[in-house]
This record gives sequence, C-alpha cells and structure tokens, in this order.
Amino acid sequence: MNNIRNFCIIAHIDHGKSTLADRLLQITGTISEREMQEQMLDNMDLERERGITIKSHAIKLDYKRPNGEEYTLNLIDTPGHVDFAYEVSRALKACEGAILVVDATQGIEAQTISNLYQAIDQDLEIVPVLNKIDLPSSDPEGVGQQIVDLIGCDKEDILTVSGKTGEGVPALLEAIVERIPGPKQETEKPLKALIFDSIFNTYRGSVAYVRVFEGVLKKGEAFKFMANKQEYNAEEIGFLKMSYQPTKELRAGDVGYVIGSVKSLQDVRVGDTITTVKNPAEHPISGYQEAKPMVFSGIFPTQSEDFEDLRAALEKLQLNDASLTYEPETSKALGFGFRAGFLGLLHMEIVQERLDREFDIDIITTVPNVQYEVHLEEGGVIEVDNPSQMPEVGDIDKIYEPYIKASIITPADYIGPIMKLCQERRGVYINQMFMQNNRVEITYELPMAEVVFDFYDKLKSGTRGYASLDYEFIEFRPGHLVRLDILLNGDQVDALSSITHRDKAYYQGRKVCAKLKELIPRQQFEVAVQAAIGSRVIARDSVRALRKDVTAKCYGGDISRKRKLLEKQKEGKKRMKQVGSVEIPQEAFLAVLSMDDED
Amino acid sequence: MSGLYLHIPFCKQACSYCDFYFVTRHKRKDEFVEQLINEIESHRNSRFTQEPVQTIYFGGGTPSLLSPAQVGRILETIADVFSLDLKEVTLEMNPDDVNAEYLRGLRSAGITRASMGVQSFDEELLKFMHRAHNSTEARSCMEALAETGFDSYTVDLIYGNPGQTSEMLQKDLDILSSYDPPHVSAYTLTIEPKTRLGKQLELGRLLPAEDEVVAAQFSQVEEALLRTGINRYEVSNFAKPGAEAVHNSAYWSHENYLGLGPGAHSFWWEEDGTSARRWSNKPDLSDYLNNKTEFKKYDEDLLDLRTLAEERIMLGLRTVAGIDFKTLLEKYSWKPNEKTETYLHNLQKNGKARVEDGGIRLTGEGLKISDAIILDLITLNE
Repeated sequence: MNNIRNFCIIAHIDHGKSTLADRLLQITGTISEREMQEQMLDNMDLERERGITIKSHAIKLDYKRPNGEEYTLNLIDTPGHVDFAYEVSRALKACEGAILVVDATQGIEAQTISNLYQAIDQDLEIVPVLNKIDLPSSDPEGVGQQIVDLIGCDKEDILTVSGKTGEGVPALLEAIVERIPGPKQETEKPLKALIFDSIFNTYRGSVAYVRVFEGVLKKGEAFKFMANKQEYNAEEIGFLKMSYQPTKELRAGDVGYVIGSVKSLQDVRVGDTITTVKNPAEHPISGYQEAKPMVFSGIFPTQSEDFEDLRAALEKLQLNDASLTYEPETSKALGFGFRAGFLGLLHMEIVQERLDREFDIDIITTVPNVQYEVHLEEGGVIEVDNPSQMPEVGDIDKIYEPYIKASIITPADYIGPIMKLCQERRGVYINQMFMQNNRVEITYELPMAEVVFDFYDKLKSGTRGYASLDYEFIEFRPGHLVRLDILLNGDQVDALSSITHRDKAYYQGRKVCAKLKELIPRQQFEVAVQAAIGSRVIARDSVRALRKDVTAKCYGGDISRKRKLLEKQKEGKKRMKQVGSVEIPQEAFLAVLSMDDED
Repeated sequence: MSGLYLHIPFCKQACSYCDFYFVTRHKRKDEFVEQLINEIESHRNSRFTQEPVQTIYFGGGTPSLLSPAQVGRILETIADVFSLDLKEVTLEMNPDDVNAEYLRGLRSAGITRASMGVQSFDEELLKFMHRAHNSTEARSCMEALAETGFDSYTVDLIYGNPGQTSEMLQKDLDILSSYDPPHVSAYTLTIEPKTRLGKQLELGRLLPAEDEVVAAQFSQVEEALLRTGINRYEVSNFAKPGAEAVHNSAYWSHENYLGLGPGAHSFWWEEDGTSARRWSNKPDLSDYLNNKTEFKKYDEDLLDLRTLAEERIMLGLRTVAGIDFKTLLEKYSWKPNEKTETYLHNLQKNGKARVEDGGIRLTGEGLKISDAIILDLITLNE
C-alpha cells in the first residue's frame, strides 16, 4: 500500500497558510500543544514578523486515519514572495499535490494564480480550500466561484476550513489522503533525489532537503551532486520532523535530509539532483537553473573599519542563502564595500535587515539597479550591473534592459491609479480580465528597472493595500537609457550615479539636486550641486557657504559643555563621507534612495 | 596664580534666555552668605590656597542682590584663607540694583570692576529678554558708574535677537558708546533648550534670526565699537587696550580657578602638568545650605593632555591673539599633522585665518565660523 503523500500549500501572504499548517501539525500530533509556538514553520524572526516565508521548509506528519490506516504526509512549505519564484517551482516539483488556500474574505491574488498555474503545469493534484470561514466577512459563495472559474473544479470539491478554530481540518487531512496520488516508488532504479532547499548548520555544514524520486539512498553511501559533480558521503540521512530524525535509508517517494560534510552551500544548489557514485542515474531531474540575481546594489559599511566585519557577515549569510552574490567594490565616496546581487527587492531588504539584526553592522546601500546589456559601438556586448561600469556615451551603440510581465490583481475601483502608475513606469499595456467579486487582473510589460525601485510600495499605497503583484522576466529590450551623474563642486559622486531613462533624467536630476541641497550641511565655501549626463549639466543647485557658526559664551561651566558637544560632533564628523573637498552626511546617500516621486 | 569664582544663585526673575543656576526666592540669602564663608574656610590650608589669587569674580545669578557688607565679609574671609596678589575683583550687577551709593559701598568692600548686565537699551528687547530692569534703569546705571568714578567696568549686550534690525542694534551701540565704556561683552543670543525661549522655539512660536543677519551684526558690533577705540579680543569680548578682563582671559589660557557656591565650576592642573581636573559644585541651593554637599566635588572629569590640547585650541582660536604652536607643543605635546597644515594653509588662502609668527589667528570672517574651524582642526589632527 502506498501510504505516502507529498504536498505543498499554495497561498497568498495573509491568507492563513502558516496558521493552517500549524493546525495540521497539531491535529496529527506532530507537535504537542505545549510545543506550539505560533506559526511554527516560519522560524526566522524576520519571517514571523513579516508574516512571510523566506526559506522553504518541510515537515513529516504521521497521520492516523479514522479507519486506523497510517499515512506519512510530507508538507513542503514554499516561500511566499515573487523574488523566490524558482524556489517555489522546485518545491512544487517535489510534490504530487497542492492545497490551494484562498482567504474567503479576500479572494485570489496574483501570486497565487502564478503558483497555481505552475502547479497545474507540473500535474499536481489541486485540493482547493477556502480559509477563514469563521470570519463574518467571509464570502465562501463568491470566492468559491472564483476558484471554480480558475481551476474548473466542481463547487462540491472545495473544502471550507478555519485554520484559526481548526474547523474542517480533519476533513482536509482525509482529502489529502484520498485525492492526492501517492508517489511512484521505483526503488530499483538508480538514485534520483531532488534538492528543493538547503540550509547551513554551524556544526553540521550544509544540509540538503531532498525528495527522492527514484532509487534508494543509504546512510554512509557515496553520492554526488549532478550539476557540479562534487562527491560526498551520506554521513547522516533522515526525516524532517520538528527535529532531524536519522534513518538508515531514504527511498523513492520519501522526503528527508542529507548531511555530507558539505562545507559551503554553494555546492548544494536548489534544483540539483543527487545520485549515487556507484550506480549513477543517467539524467538529472529536469528544470535545474542557477539562481540568477536580478537586482544589484552597493553595500558599504558606515564606518570604514567595519569592512572586514561586513565581509565576514556576507560570507555567513551566503552559507544560508545561495542566491546572494557579492564581490568587492570600491567607491570614491563610500570607500571599500561590496556589489551585491539579489533575486529581487524583498531579497535585498532581507539581506540588509539581517546584516543589521544578526551582525549589528551599519551599512549604506546605493540605489538598486538591474543588469543591462550594453552593445558597444566597436562591437561586442558587456553586462553592466553598476552605473560606474557604464561606458562613455560615445562608445555605446545600444543599451538593452530587462523587461518583465507583471500581473496585478486588484478590486476594479483601483484600475485608474494602477494604470497611471504603470504608464509612469514606462509600462506597455497588454490586457485586463475581469474576475468574480468585482476584481480584475491587469497585465503590463514593464522595464524591470522601473519595478525594482519602490514600485511595489507605490502599488500598495495606491490601492490601500488591495492590489497584489506577480511578475516574470520576459526579455531584454532596447531602451533610451543614460547614466545620470551627480557632481559636487565638479567632483563626481560615484555612489549617487544611476542609470535612468533619457526622458526622466531631467526630472530626476532636479529632484536629486534639491534633495542634496537640503541634506548637505553648509560648508566653508559654496557647494555647487549638479546633475549631468556625460559632460552635459542638466540640473543645478547650490548649498550656500556657512556664514555663522560660533558659540557666544565660553566661560567656566560652558567649557565642559562645549568640549562634550565637540566630542559628539567629532564622532559625527568622522562618519561624514568626503568627495573632493565636500563633506556629505550618510543620510544624503540614503535619502536619495527614499526619494518620493510625487514631491 | 589662580582665580576664584563665586556663584551667587539669586535672581529677581528668570531671564528668558538664561540657563545658569539660580533661584528666585531670597529668604535664605543671609544663610547662603554664611555657608559660602564656610566653603571658603573649608579650603584653608588646601593646595588651592597655595597659589596667590589674582582675580576674584562674583557671578550669578545676581551678585548685586548682596549688600556691600556681605560682599565685604566674603572678601575678608578670602583674604584670610588664600594668599592674594589681586589684579581684578569683579562683581556682576543688574541695572535695577545699582545706584551711586551701592557702587561706593562695593568699592569700599574691595570690588574693583563692575560687570553691568545692561543687555540692551531698547524697552521692547528688554521685555523680550524678560529682564528685571527697563530702559531708563539701563541708562541710569551707566550714569551711576560715571558719577562714582567707577572707571573699570564692562557692559553686557545681547544682539542677534529675533526681529532685531541693524538699525535697532546701531541704536543700542550708539547709546552704549556715548558712555565710552572701557570694556564690552556683546553676545549673540543663544537659545538654550531648557529656557523660556527654548520652549517657545520648540513650540514654533519663535523664529530665530537668520545666520546671515547675525553674521552681519557680528561685524556691525565690531565696527561700531572700534570707532570708540574698543577692539574685539575674543568672539564676544571687546576692550580698550589694557582693559581686557583678566579673570575671563585666564579661563581661555587654562589658568587654575576655583569655583565656590552651588553650581560653580572649577579647573585645576594636576601637580605634574600632564593632566587637569574640571569639576562643579552641585547646583542645588538647599543641599548646599543644609550642608548635604559637604563642599564635595559633584561632577568631575580628569582631562588628559590630548583633551586639554583640544580645549586649548577651542578656547584659544576664539581669541584674536589666537594660539601659538610653541605653547601647544611644550605644554600640550600637540603639533599639527600634514592634513592640519594643508587645512590651515587653505584657511589662510580663503582669508579665514592668519598662520604666521608661529601661531594661528582667525580673522573676523574666521571668528564668525570658529566652531566649524575648531571642529575641523581637532578632527583632522586625530
């Protein structure tokens, strides 16, 4: 009897995936009431705070049916953000079925749809579930119809649950067993195990989370990663319960972990296939891709003496996050730092926040940008992910920039503001489709550069948080792009350079100049603030010279006070960054990042 | 050589800009004088009495709330406990306390120099400052000085007030000049957080004068006083040649001084000359009177030579005489590094300083932004 079920949960942020997962853990007795910590599966502080899953997780539930049959249910949790679409696809690949969780008070969101389509593409059995039916504002009828329209199921197939109260969860467990097919158990074939996630453990090294598709992996057996050909010994293998549960073998159909004294996560790539050295599989499991960073930004320590600490911190983060890339970068304004590549904006924010929280390092980040393909006048193509690498205007034939297809789902009331936002961001309208419940899906093609910079925030604020966004890369397209430089008293501030569309350069240049005028303190001389494209100045402003800065009194008691103030100012002064003769406070670099389009 | 500072913490009312320690109840004034005498006595035979006292300064608060007899008793006690080599005995006074008789009394008690808190002759400005005196009293106190032949004195002036135009300032300066004072202390208004003005600023009810306006007035004061033969010798201090304040100048050149009374500050070098201490008395009159303070140091910092060097630069650059490299090197083991030298060179080039005769002196333009220059110098020379 095939008594294994491998499944994942597809849901939008806030639709109650984690709460429902917690309830599954509880009802199957995987954890006791006492161990229950809310949202058990999100174990990073950051995940719990933001209510999103950053890493995939997996857990084995031992389920005893009312009729006494015992089943193993492997729940593979998926990351809940568009930046991690590839990780999602690998997690889906590891399953035979998916629970589609939709908040009965809100309806289906953009990302749910894209993940759902992926699941359907991979032939997963979909178990549709309406969650939060305990809430008075829930609309099981209307939202249920949305689901019917979307996946073509019967209305009766839709389960109704409340993750909060536990209502309907026993029926859901039965449906998982009854509707989702068990995995093929071809144990006689050579080993093929898919890595759907990996984590780094300080004491054990890298731990691969795998789904075995074919064959058997035995403890102590030599295995290899098929993509990078590295070989290791399976020192420990086992199942993923609340803690690791070692076992002697992982068989086709199983979900578990493999520890092989792998020092770096760089070797354990999500999507790669593990096979045995002795009897290797002929082909790896299809669909492996190397994680490709989409967004780039400079990361510099606030205090230059923290450079080595920053390097150590990035190394540590990378152990646990193979999709983070970085290389040393030197800025005239900010000194020594790194150019880091991220999967997306959220990924970037997470890395920045972890540097601050887990490593306590103050950093300055530069304006994020995408990677451009620059076709040179003399032939040849270079990839540019840093404004400072952009060749001189005269040497450029054409610049290509990445475009994405964005799908936005919103209540119909907000179509206007969303279209305005997309137009402003150089979007190309594709279509719109009306759905149940007065909701509409709008599709645009947009330059990715326009989306990485505060697009999501704008989208959310323009729709009172109702719109959801999903996007995928489509292609590189030519664009009229220029490098906008900022000069202070004639010296270029490399960390403030950006790549922007020609038509927006004037507006942006004026804004940056005005912002800098506000933020650069008066100095002993007038400071000219200029924005330029090549040698052409397109905007200018100036910070007037300091006219008066003198303490009136300095007698007995004033002296201590003045000295202490001076000590403080001295510390502040040391944190200033110097460009030519001009001192720039750190906030100036950060403020350019948070510049509001509308002001 | 040392100086003595005596803090007399009584005021009739709170001036809107003042954040010195004071109380407005005067019931225990006599008791205070006794306790001040006790504090002076407490130093008998201490190391502070070994050096001859050169200056005595009664500050406040409002020292002119003391009677000449009280001032006399205090000075007698000092003469008894300390060895004296007096060059200057100053008492701060408010115009409303002053008449010819009072001045004569102080003279016989031993006061040689008056510090007159006029601040302005303008009725509206005096109200804005919440001073206890009016415009008439501001003039009559000046006349009393002349009448009694009190020819060593200084007058305090505050400018750069919100709404004060250069014409208004000129009027104050003209009236002041008509009395031909030997010394003037003219301060730009500083709005401190814990004052009445500070509160108003916080609430947005006050618009401080613009830097450009104050900078122009900074020069206007200098020019007007220069016409009557008074030179700026420090950011806020102006004197006829030879009439410079001895006591205050000692602060700026790191001479020892001992503070007495609640809230008074002291500075004293350690024996070996490689460090010094700054401390203050607790600013609490009732603790002082109930002998809870036991005349002990309340707040003390031990300053190393590097800190002292930075202080010396900070204080010295505020004076027109500037600082000389020889003193900095010999007394403080401080010398400019390469970055500092380049910086000084540029200051000179831009007309902010003169670097010559083995020292640095800021020009008028340099003095106006001396805080920024001082900060640059000590940061560069780290």
